[in-house]
Amino acid sequence: MKRREPAWRVFAGEYNDSTVEIRGGEKTPSYIVTPLGGKINRLFLVGVLTDVENVSEGGEFLRAHVSDPTGVFTLYSGQYQKDATDQLLNIEVPSFIGVIGKIRTFVPEEGSMYLSIRPEVVRELDVEARNRWIIETCVQTKHRIGAIIEGMKMNPPNVYDLRKLGYSRDLSEGVVTALKNYGEIDIEKYLSLIRESLHYITPQEWKRKMGSEEIENLILETIKEVEGDEGAAWDLIVEKCQKKGIDENTIEEALTSLMDKGYIFEPVLGTIKST
Amino acid sequence: LTSIDESIDDILDALSEKKVGREELEKHLKRFLEYGVPLDHAKETLIKKFGGSRVLIKDLKPDQRNITLICRVININQREITVRGETRKIFYGILGDESGTVPFTAWKDFEIEKGDVVEISNACAREWGGNIKLSLGERTTIKITDEALPEAQPTECKVKDLRPGLGAIEIVARILKMEERQVEVGDQRKNVYSGVLGDETGKAQFTSWHDFELKEGDVIKISGGYIKSWKGIPQLIFDEKATVERLDSSVISEKSIKTQRLPLHELVEKRGALDVEVEGTVIDIRKGSGLIDRCPECNRVLREGKCSIHGDVEGITDLRIKLVMDDGTGAVGGILGREVTEKLLGKSFEELKTEKSYDKIIEKMNNLLFSQRLVLQGNALGDEFGTTIIARDAKIVDIDVEAESRKLFEELEEL
Repeated sequence: MKRREPAWRVFAGEYNDSTVEIRGGEKTPSYIVTPLGGKINRLFLVGVLTDVENVSEGGEFLRAHVSDPTGVFTLYSGQYQKDATDQLLNIEVPSFIGVIGKIRTFVPEEGSMYLSIRPEVVRELDVEARNRWIIETCVQTKHRIGAIIEGMKMNPPNVYDLRKLGYSRDLSEGVVTALKNYGEIDIEKYLSLIRESLHYITPQEWKRKMGSEEIENLILETIKEVEGDEGAAWDLIVEKCQKKGIDENTIEEALTSLMDKGYIFEPVLGTIKST
Repeated sequence: LTSIDESIDDILDALSEKKVGREELEKHLKRFLEYGVPLDHAKETLIKKFGGSRVLIKDLKPDQRNITLICRVININQREITVRGETRKIFYGILGDESGTVPFTAWKDFEIEKGDVVEISNACAREWGGNIKLSLGERTTIKITDEALPEAQPTECKVKDLRPGLGAIEIVARILKMEERQVEVGDQRKNVYSGVLGDETGKAQFTSWHDFELKEGDVIKISGGYIKSWKGIPQLIFDEKATVERLDSSVISEKSIKTQRLPLHELVEKRGALDVEVEGTVIDIRKGSGLIDRCPECNRVLREGKCSIHGDVEGITDLRIKLVMDDGTGAVGGILGREVTEKLLGKSFEELKTEKSYDKIIEKMNNLLFSQRLVLQGNALGDEFGTTIIARDAKIVDIDVEAESRKLFEELEEL
């Protein structure tokens, strides 16, 4: 049976980190494996089309960039992707676009790999579609993080046990390959990709729902929770508040304001204590 | 040297009782090899020698090799496949022992029949679709024995667990549809009783070769059926050897029968299912969507005004959407007929027929559906092109981005 490859939802920040490729043959597709075990042949992304340029002297071969909250996807589209190429030429820059595309790799030398995308479908979309994609991609990135963590607990990581936990065959195989090839996987980095991305759709919501005073109160409470006699490290406070869903800029603004009002002070540089 | 170590691992794997140590095995194996006995044969001999090596079906593990089983052939079918341009006959079916059942594939004709009790040596177990499957190949030997083998203990199943290759199952279900018809088996006419049954996890088809006097609305416990599939839709098959026990109909009320909901990778792996609900994002509106012409004789879609069977005919215009739905784990096709399409587009067929350009209708479908989350309900059929849902209903899912993102923040906290 012919299988249609699923379209993975993955942030540019994860996709572009990939260095592992499974090369296909005449009848088997190629995949790239991301550090979180995404085993990707096709992907679906929504982002901002920032530029389109023709990189071929004679014919038409376009390079385009699509930005998401975590990084930039590179697209290459030529005469064999006529519909996608036409769309890229006609959509104004900047615009939200949705892309269904296949992985494309370029390995200039061993150990380094450039990843791009060969689009199959390109369509202009609106901000709601972008927000829906961010949510979906956050959910699926989190799902992969869960799978990687389960894989790490296994000795050795294996597809059979991962599948018994309910992970798909593709993801289970990807997780095993990732754990074999990537050494230490920086899970915290991908967790913060999710947080950063969520801020794209929520910071306005926080400001609208919560006055700056409420945010300051929330932050002050957080400081009191974590500080010892010597106070608490600035970074720790920022991290704790971020986990509550407040973005970094808002936190820094609130800290400055709290300091001006005399609720907190900085006993040593980088440490904060409540008065 | 490593191959000796690996061989010893294999032998130890195949022995259920470890009555013999590594060193002793190594001594024996090396001895055989010194005499030029081929490695495989040496291994086989040692496994037999330190015997008692029978494995129970419930203890099979993926990638286990040199397995010895004593089991009963619950059913066996054959099929022709093409391997590198060559047509080969393969056999598949279900084996069972007192501990459970396992589907198998035999790559040659072992001349075994349904009901035979057999001793199988040198089989291997593989993982397939998340379950164990037994592979019987060139190195496998099978001996028909007259050993008395206790019947398999039936495995309790829910409808959602039914998959081809399961045998000796026990299931409690409600009969939702029932029909009696006659079929010819050889030169005999036989009555078959078939229909749809269901429980709180889903629905499946069944066929009984014996008249258990089943009626719609009956709630029954069936022990001793096995599962076949048609286009991926599971079918429970049973006959007079099965036992059917009537239960109080309140055990499974009509209301508790649910439409099965599952992620797309699971559906694609099952290939098909009866009456399911799936959710995913629309990532393509395919050719053949919009206004189409059908043959008045056979209802097939015309290509360039021609029916592939009836040639030049006056087509009857119809409306449909053919789409690809993808949830990031798997992708399925969806076919939405006229009524469902009208409901989604919010426009009647008559209105759409007045559109001058067919492309405009496709553009409308794209604008409405591309990148939207959709729920489809219907039967899922698997064929060589993948799985397609024949939708009896479709709904766009409204996503509350704000609530979803708050929920995610909370879940991240817990991770």
